[in-house]
Amino acid sequence: MQPLANITPLKPAGAIEVRNVGQVFKTTTQDVVALEDVSLDVKPGRFVVLVGPSGCGKSTLLMMMAGLRQQTSGTITISGAPIPEPDPNRVGVVFQEASLFPWLTAEENVEFPLALRGIAKSDRRTRAQDALKLVGLDGFGKRHPHELSGGMKQRVSIARGLVQDPPVLLMDEPFAALDEQTRMTMGDELLRIWAATGKTVVFVTHSLTEAVYLADEVIVMSPRPGRIVDHLQVPLPRPRTYEMLSGDTFGSLRDRIWRHIRKSA
Amino acid sequence: MSAATLRRLIVISLIALWEILPRAGFIPELFLPSLSSTLAAGWNEAGEYGHALAVTLYEVAISMAFACGGGILFGAVVGSLPRPRILIMPMVSSLYAVPLVILYPVFTVWLGIGSESKIAFASIYGFLPTMLATAAGIQTIDPQLLLAARSMGATLSQRLVRVIIPAAIPTVLSGLRVGGALVIVGVVVSEMLISSAGIGYLISRYRTILDSPHVFAGVLLVLAMAIAFNAAIKWIERKAAIWQTGTRAGQSAEETVPAALQPAT
Repeated sequence: MQPLANITPLKPAGAIEVRNVGQVFKTTTQDVVALEDVSLDVKPGRFVVLVGPSGCGKSTLLMMMAGLRQQTSGTITISGAPIPEPDPNRVGVVFQEASLFPWLTAEENVEFPLALRGIAKSDRRTRAQDALKLVGLDGFGKRHPHELSGGMKQRVSIARGLVQDPPVLLMDEPFAALDEQTRMTMGDELLRIWAATGKTVVFVTHSLTEAVYLADEVIVMSPRPGRIVDHLQVPLPRPRTYEMLSGDTFGSLRDRIWRHIRKSA
Repeated sequence: MSAATLRRLIVISLIALWEILPRAGFIPELFLPSLSSTLAAGWNEAGEYGHALAVTLYEVAISMAFACGGGILFGAVVGSLPRPRILIMPMVSSLYAVPLVILYPVFTVWLGIGSESKIAFASIYGFLPTMLATAAGIQTIDPQLLLAARSMGATLSQRLVRVIIPAAIPTVLSGLRVGGALVIVGVVVSEMLISSAGIGYLISRYRTILDSPHVFAGVLLVLAMAIAFNAAIKWIERKAAIWQTGTRAGQSAEETVPAALQPAT
């Protein structure tokens, strides 16, 4: 086994590399360029937010990082290896709230990826309960999704994404369906979970405030064709607080993103 | 008074009226024999009715297996593959508007007047709604659920067993409810038209000799059969789908599907 380690490029777990990635959708009438020459580096443990108007390809890019879609050109590596198909040991994915299985309890939903791999029931239960505890849902495991609020459902989704302890967590507009108060609370919750686990997070959103509030780095994308127009660092200290929202740093970062988006809309 | 008590009262008073009105002479015995004389007629010919019931139940059971088994199988294929759907669905939908009972004389020419022609007719009669409901149930599965399962590394067969089948259960059950009821209708109607055995045959034979108590004894048996079938489906629904109320599919399955699938008789 020793030589293998020399062949495989030694990239730290959780690093994401996107190199000259393009995506073309072929329709009957024309080819639509969804992404053009996108390159991006995410260092392990960083919280990166992809933001941009509809059609800029941010969700497409996320799906490719998850192995759910293949790029037309370029390469993507996660922890140093390409991702030709979904690999829940390397990447956990969190979708909008509709993606919980309504016929399973919260606990069974979190166990689902473990059950797919044939892990023993008792082991599954322990790990699901640990994950639910991590997201603050201790004691809610026996409820079905329709018995949970929107925010709680999203906590279950996060627990499901984390249950196999992957170094990378990809989130596709996870809070889009929530009301604003719940959304703020869930943002703080997510930052707490992120700080506790040290995962690399890539988070897609429409909301500029959410982007700046959560991120270490914000990637701004524009449509037709989808590409990266800006990559900014958020110098605000952690933990983030509600007061920062009205500060000058926050305002100028949000303005800068907004100017890009207005130009492309 | 609760709705359930009120319902029971209505049923009890209807039964009481059935006994009182003919007895008091308000309705001639030829039109409506009293409940007691109906039961007595059935009891006196218990052997004959028992034999007829056995024949009918046998035909219903076989037709149910063909209609439901075939309906679910074909519905699953048509619902999940776009090409068969485009080819077959319009034909099936227009076939559904045809009063299928016109085919029954043809079946008796092909298969004789024994059980085979009844089974063939009732199977086709119950097959269509089961198939349409299953196809609809599979088509309306939320694609987010399948995407989420794939992101957790579910193989095609795991997605079928753990996502598609449980998600389709409520709509399939509502299809079974309609399809199964139509199987009973199909068997009894075909027995009444051309046959030599079964409850429908008895009803029709006693009618030609104007023996109303014996006609109504047969009607009671068919009623009992339909009520037993309904109770069985309700029991399965309760067992299989505790979560029905929590999902779109579950809510619409209860009301809209049976209404939309009312057949032309």
